[in-house]
Amino acid sequence: MSAKANSNKKPFSRRKFLRRTAVVLGGSIVAGYLGCSPTRRYLAQTVEGMDFPAVISSMKPDFWFQVLSDNSILFKSPKIEMGQNVITGLAMLAAEELEIPLERIKVEHASTGSGIIDSLGTGGSNSTLSLYIPVREVAATMREMLKTAAAEQWGVALSSVTAKDGVLSSGDKTMTYAEIAASTTEWKTPKTPKLKPASAFKYVGKTVKRIDLQEKVMGTALYTIDHERNGLLHAITLECPYLNGKIKSIDTSEAAKMPDVVKVIQEEDLVAVVATNRYAAEMAVRKIKVEWDIPKAWQQKEIIELVTVGKGKRVNVQDKGSARSILSNSKAKVFEQAYRTPMAAHAQMETYGTLAHVENNEASIVIGTQAPGMIQGQLASALGIKKDKVDVQAPYLGGGFGRKMGRNNAAQAARISKIVGAPIKLIPTREQEFQNSVYRPNTHHVLKAVFNEQGGLEAISHDQATPDMVMKDLGGNFALSMVGADWLSAGHGASILYPVKNRSTSIWNVEVPYPSGIWRSVGIFANTFAIESFMNELAYHTKQDPIEMRLKLLKGGDEINQRMSKVLEVLKDKADWAAERKPGVGRSVAICNDRKTIAAAAIEVSIVDGAIKVLKVTEVVDCGIAINPGGIHQQVEGAIMMGISAALYEEITIADGKISASNYHEYPLATLNDVPEIQVVILENAPEPFGIGEPPLGPVAPAIAGALLDLRGKALRSLPFRLNEG
Amino acid sequence: MKIDFSINKKPVSVDVDPEMPLLWVVRDELQLKATKFGCGRAMCGACTLHVDGEVYRSCALPVQYAAGKEVTTLEGLSTETQIHPIQQAWIEEEVPQCGYCQPGFMMAAAKLIQEIPNPSDEDIKSNISNICRCGTHPRIIKAIKRAAAIQQASKI
Repeated sequence: MSAKANSNKKPFSRRKFLRRTAVVLGGSIVAGYLGCSPTRRYLAQTVEGMDFPAVISSMKPDFWFQVLSDNSILFKSPKIEMGQNVITGLAMLAAEELEIPLERIKVEHASTGSGIIDSLGTGGSNSTLSLYIPVREVAATMREMLKTAAAEQWGVALSSVTAKDGVLSSGDKTMTYAEIAASTTEWKTPKTPKLKPASAFKYVGKTVKRIDLQEKVMGTALYTIDHERNGLLHAITLECPYLNGKIKSIDTSEAAKMPDVVKVIQEEDLVAVVATNRYAAEMAVRKIKVEWDIPKAWQQKEIIELVTVGKGKRVNVQDKGSARSILSNSKAKVFEQAYRTPMAAHAQMETYGTLAHVENNEASIVIGTQAPGMIQGQLASALGIKKDKVDVQAPYLGGGFGRKMGRNNAAQAARISKIVGAPIKLIPTREQEFQNSVYRPNTHHVLKAVFNEQGGLEAISHDQATPDMVMKDLGGNFALSMVGADWLSAGHGASILYPVKNRSTSIWNVEVPYPSGIWRSVGIFANTFAIESFMNELAYHTKQDPIEMRLKLLKGGDEINQRMSKVLEVLKDKADWAAERKPGVGRSVAICNDRKTIAAAAIEVSIVDGAIKVLKVTEVVDCGIAINPGGIHQQVEGAIMMGISAALYEEITIADGKISASNYHEYPLATLNDVPEIQVVILENAPEPFGIGEPPLGPVAPAIAGALLDLRGKALRSLPFRLNEG
Repeated sequence: MKIDFSINKKPVSVDVDPEMPLLWVVRDELQLKATKFGCGRAMCGACTLHVDGEVYRSCALPVQYAAGKEVTTLEGLSTETQIHPIQQAWIEEEVPQCGYCQPGFMMAAAKLIQEIPNPSDEDIKSNISNICRCGTHPRIIKAIKRAAAIQQASKI
């Protein structure tokens, strides 16, 4: 099929698109690829609601892979690289079926104008698992197409053609992929080829260095702030540091007189200084005199009170047996404890900024976002233009952690660009990044349990009070009111995993005056902290070993429970659990199941100079097939450090209506000083890959809490831990 | 104001506000993009570079301070023929994740192994206060020790 045949701009149905999904070979489109059900399902999810086929109808028909003239392959990744090393894993999968060395695969992010972007964005640790089959299927199809074309050109049987290291051969005839792609005009699409069995994998399962390693070490990796345009101007917006504040009065006359200032924009919902350089813009915006209208000067105490079990709308997410009635009528002692997690910032090193150029009602946007499709939609409505007039390119992200799914300044940048008629770089200051952001919401948890006469757990319940993380973004207030509470994200991990006969979990959705959103591992962070801290307290008060108690509880459970048991058995061994206890050292464990990845940590702590010191962390993860073990190690190490940081230091508070932290000095993070001895162990107890970016964060804080309880005999139930609180 | 200095061993002349932070001069006037903007208050270290061999956080360093001096950014750490031990070790230990803070860390680390040729964990922890959010800290410590060993070996 020629490119021309695809150039009509009729509305495209999803089904039609799937039938016509194309692979680019040497510049000509090859359509007709269908794939088996996981691939179809992935593409359907990806394409849905995106008006996606614009890229085909506008004759820019790029799919995932393109054979380049130097006989390398360009892979346009639908998933975004933010440090989690997703592009290496996906390239490894592609290399398996393309029969080309990994180093000959170049990866770049698909943009909205070129390639398939993922309308769901990059997050939820689902990139590799959702693409595990689709990437290989499309790669295998492309390889078979190249082989078929070669067989026809040579007049030999297809079965005699082999593909190896980017070269096709049959007898004494050889041709590179690039050569066959350049000399073929009529492509034939085979039925979806059978995929290589795991036993034949060349790369999958072996540690491969990240493919962005060289450029990130040599300093050539480009982020949003590194992009340039001719005639680029720099802007800084005026942002209200108060929650939901509005301008009461404003005087921008001094700002306008500052050197190098090109324009001061003053509209009802947009005040910005545009200058020829960043420094001038920053200096000028400080000269704006403004008085804020603050609807309510919120205080921290009120924010905590708002998020309390018993308030808001309740949704039952788990009800097995009759836990609630057993717990309320029990004659035996009911253990009951409450836990709290604070608001937190993502504090990623790169503030979430935009380069925008709006010209002739078309917008070209560079933004390091986890969700280019979402940005495209937001800009189309902000500018009143069609989506296909908005091109969104995501360069590397200087950290995401969920922040780059949320509140952004792309529409502001685009509007400024349109007003001044020049490309604009709008990079928030760190103060704006902290104070005009989106936050991990604070949560409150109440857990109750009662033991039976045999010492087994008879009933357990968990109530989580939490603001929304994702429902409003997905479907607005209406969606949230329909589902009652955000069990998808904020409530993720709230249910009791242990196969206790009577167990019950509720999520109480509460409204807060600050923007709440996803933060690495979403609900797993708060819920694992609460549930696993409670389990450690139960073990402590019943004088049981925390690992043995869990193993006992997990007996007779489902497949997840069995995998949890295996992880704990390995953890016991690797963490040297049987060794003699060290004086002055507390230790404990915690475990979570995050979308079928099991992660458990054993942690040792002590108190040094009056401060909590994490000495050693052993973390065992079972994420099914380990595609790139080296990459998994990196993710687990990173999650351990982020978990230590969140447990010991991080907290956003609100005072007088303002987010209290303005910069890193008021939001300390873990540093080199906090690095413990770390041991990471990977198990593969499932026949498919699951996520790894987020799950290993879950057990860190509760294992530290348990270790402090073990050391001091006193439980700390709020994050971050403060020794004077218990 | 016209200010002359040397960047990565090349003389340059810029005409900017003398109070403009060196960070923006290096990035936007000289188009050297490895040095990153992180906090703007000399707290995170993403903008770390060297001025006359000393470590500075360039987001809070007025460009006039660099007048007549030698500025080195990550782009100037290795030579065309020789990769700097820090960068070699960073590759061997596969340190970066998102990569945004790494140039600053590498510049701080390059100075450290020059000052302390065989640093202990404690030397590293107490001398480098840069911030990383991905949690590459354990590998940074390993890489600095490896770089020190590479440096030692190359001197013998």
